[in-house]
Amino acid sequence: MAANAQPTDAQPKITLVSSDNQKILVDRDIAERSVLLKHMIQDFGGETPDQDIPIHNVNEVVLKKVIEWCEHHRADPPATAEDDSDNRKKSTDIEEWDQKFMQVDQEMLFEIILAANYLDIKPLLDVGCKTVANMIKGKSPDEIRKTFNITNDFTPEEEDQIRRENEWAEDR
Amino acid sequence: MEVRPALAVLPAEILEAIFLQLDYYSVVQASQACKHIRNITAHAPVIWRHLCLTNFNYWDPHRHIQDKIAAPLSNTDWRELFIERYQIDKDTRHCLDRVINTPHGRLQLISDVANYGYDAKGLLLREWNCPDDAGDVLARRFYAHVMLQRIQREEALRIWMHVGSGNDVPLEKVLFAFDLFTRVGDDVDLDVFTSKLDNLAKLMVAYHPNFHDLSTRQKASALAMFLHERGFNGAPDDAYRNLRNSFIGLALESEDHHALPLIHVAIYCAVASRLGLDARPCGYIYHVYCIVYAPENHTLDGAYKPNSDGLDSMYLNPFGSGDEVERSELERTLRDAGIPSEDHGVYLSAAPVCEMALRTSRNILNAVRTFRHHADGRHHDAWASVVPDVDAAVYAAVWAFVMVSGRSQARLASMEMWQRYLPRLLESFQTYFPWDITLLEKYLLPYLGSHPGAVRLAHFMQDLMTTDAQPKTPHRRGPESSRVSFKVGQLFKHARYGYEGVVTGWDPACDAGEEWISHMQVDELPNGRNQSFYHILACDKSVRYVAEENIRPVPPETQPSKAICMLAGRHFKRWDPEARMFVSNVRHEYPDD
Repeated sequence: MAANAQPTDAQPKITLVSSDNQKILVDRDIAERSVLLKHMIQDFGGETPDQDIPIHNVNEVVLKKVIEWCEHHRADPPATAEDDSDNRKKSTDIEEWDQKFMQVDQEMLFEIILAANYLDIKPLLDVGCKTVANMIKGKSPDEIRKTFNITNDFTPEEEDQIRRENEWAEDR
Repeated sequence: MEVRPALAVLPAEILEAIFLQLDYYSVVQASQACKHIRNITAHAPVIWRHLCLTNFNYWDPHRHIQDKIAAPLSNTDWRELFIERYQIDKDTRHCLDRVINTPHGRLQLISDVANYGYDAKGLLLREWNCPDDAGDVLARRFYAHVMLQRIQREEALRIWMHVGSGNDVPLEKVLFAFDLFTRVGDDVDLDVFTSKLDNLAKLMVAYHPNFHDLSTRQKASALAMFLHERGFNGAPDDAYRNLRNSFIGLALESEDHHALPLIHVAIYCAVASRLGLDARPCGYIYHVYCIVYAPENHTLDGAYKPNSDGLDSMYLNPFGSGDEVERSELERTLRDAGIPSEDHGVYLSAAPVCEMALRTSRNILNAVRTFRHHADGRHHDAWASVVPDVDAAVYAAVWAFVMVSGRSQARLASMEMWQRYLPRLLESFQTYFPWDITLLEKYLLPYLGSHPGAVRLAHFMQDLMTTDAQPKTPHRRGPESSRVSFKVGQLFKHARYGYEGVVTGWDPACDAGEEWISHMQVDELPNGRNQSFYHILACDKSVRYVAEENIRPVPPETQPSKAICMLAGRHFKRWDPEARMFVSNVRHEYPDD
């Protein structure tokens, strides 16, 4: 039940409208995992708004995926604003459910990251960034280009210069 | 046309968030993928500052890292700083590897690493904690420890020298220098120590929310009671003379907080000053009390009273009850001890920090004397279970004496200095800590001025450096050495004295001078002087020369003691349980063993 986007009856509900004009009904507390939506709802004076809320930058498929994540994490303690001031202990460990959740094609992965960024859902953005970081880790520049379909736009002279600049890191 | 989402077209702040999750090597690799990523990563101060702070825990004071962190990001080239620190780590590891693998030139290499100061500390701590199964585990830990000590000793010497030159230094810092000088570890760190004291002060306020409304007398008693309840209440009689009781760092971090009165007073004063109380040590006879002063023109009970004849004050005994002590009671004891009343002032007024440091030096030497008296003739390896190391403690005490005394002519010319402290310093140095040679050069020689002893010392040190820089002559096994039965690395028990030892070298026949041979009555041995003789390292730290007939190899199942393993790293890589031998690290000298 929790895993799909069906709202339960007990909760006040909000209607979101995706960029491709699809209406999605969600529980208010799930919508409020998004700081952007939370602020918008507060602008309605704390009442649950009965009009539709348009999400201009996110299409239906991505929005449903984001809501699925919010549903699973609806009971997480809220992240404090200055939580990330001390980055020292940051690691690229991702919990198992999130790992499975992020097993999507690259385009979808970046869509989720962009949506999390736009909707201001910091924990989801973190999971997305960690997933991408793990795809980069330990790869050579060429492997990184292949993985992410990046074109090498350096001239041979620039490549030479860059190699010299980074020589210090090579002889480990 | 709509741009399809891809890594390279993500907004810069998202890319930055991704790169903040990566190690430096991956960041460098990614920056070479395309121009856009390069622009975001190559010189991004946020990313490189993050890498600096996550990769390096220790920074040399000259870098003022806290100021850099507080300043605007762009004030520092964090990438350049990262690369510099990275190179220092690399060079430190390289020097450590060379020290382990090459028997000559060690003094210079160790001094080179020491010049990096705290920048090298993090890497050395990691090497010191290398896994048990490292191929050269004993040698690696031994020399990483040597380098860490050398670096921390310099920090301690600077603190003592600062006091000796008449500067104002908090007492607890001067005392913690004894910890820095003798122990290594993540927690043996001035910042960690200071924050522990800060925490005690915070706890005190949390415990007594109305603390700041109390009178000075009430505050003084409340703090004494608080520390007493947290276990800072002395040391039992049977443990009073333990060496560790003179080390403020150990007193603070141990569970029982055992320490001498002087240390308890220092802790009391340190916490008091953090709470705005003026408390100072009082160097009484056979004891140290604490004097707490009221603010100017006030009594201890908070009343306004202009005082022209000094501050209102009270005595406390933080060692033990923590109760207030009447001055008249202290005077009576002085009188009973036969001290004339005109001299009472010295014993009843606040003692300067340097006097407390010198007193700690003497306390340490006394504790070591007690330890040696009790340990003598019983356990050869008793030293291995004492923290801090006994010989390091003596070495610290004599160094502190010389440094804290300062360049006062009277003190340097004193008999105590030349007869008691200096010879012990040089003996400790030569026997246990030859790696500290550049400390003597930098800190001791300038103190001794043009004294003839100083000239001799300078020559001696020059010789040591020259000898150390020269390759050792190899002792090859040939027909002449065919009767040398034991190899370098052999663990044995001495046939007559029973101590554990390990062979570090050999001669086919006794190679000592005539004087030694006759003094040791070598010719009285059944096999005389014409048997193989072995250089050995004993578990009591001594280095000896033993006849083959006295070497009894240990039975097969025997494991080397903790003590011998702590010492063995100077000559050996590791213990080989199959061969039941230490694996030689002196193959340059004994290539066939």
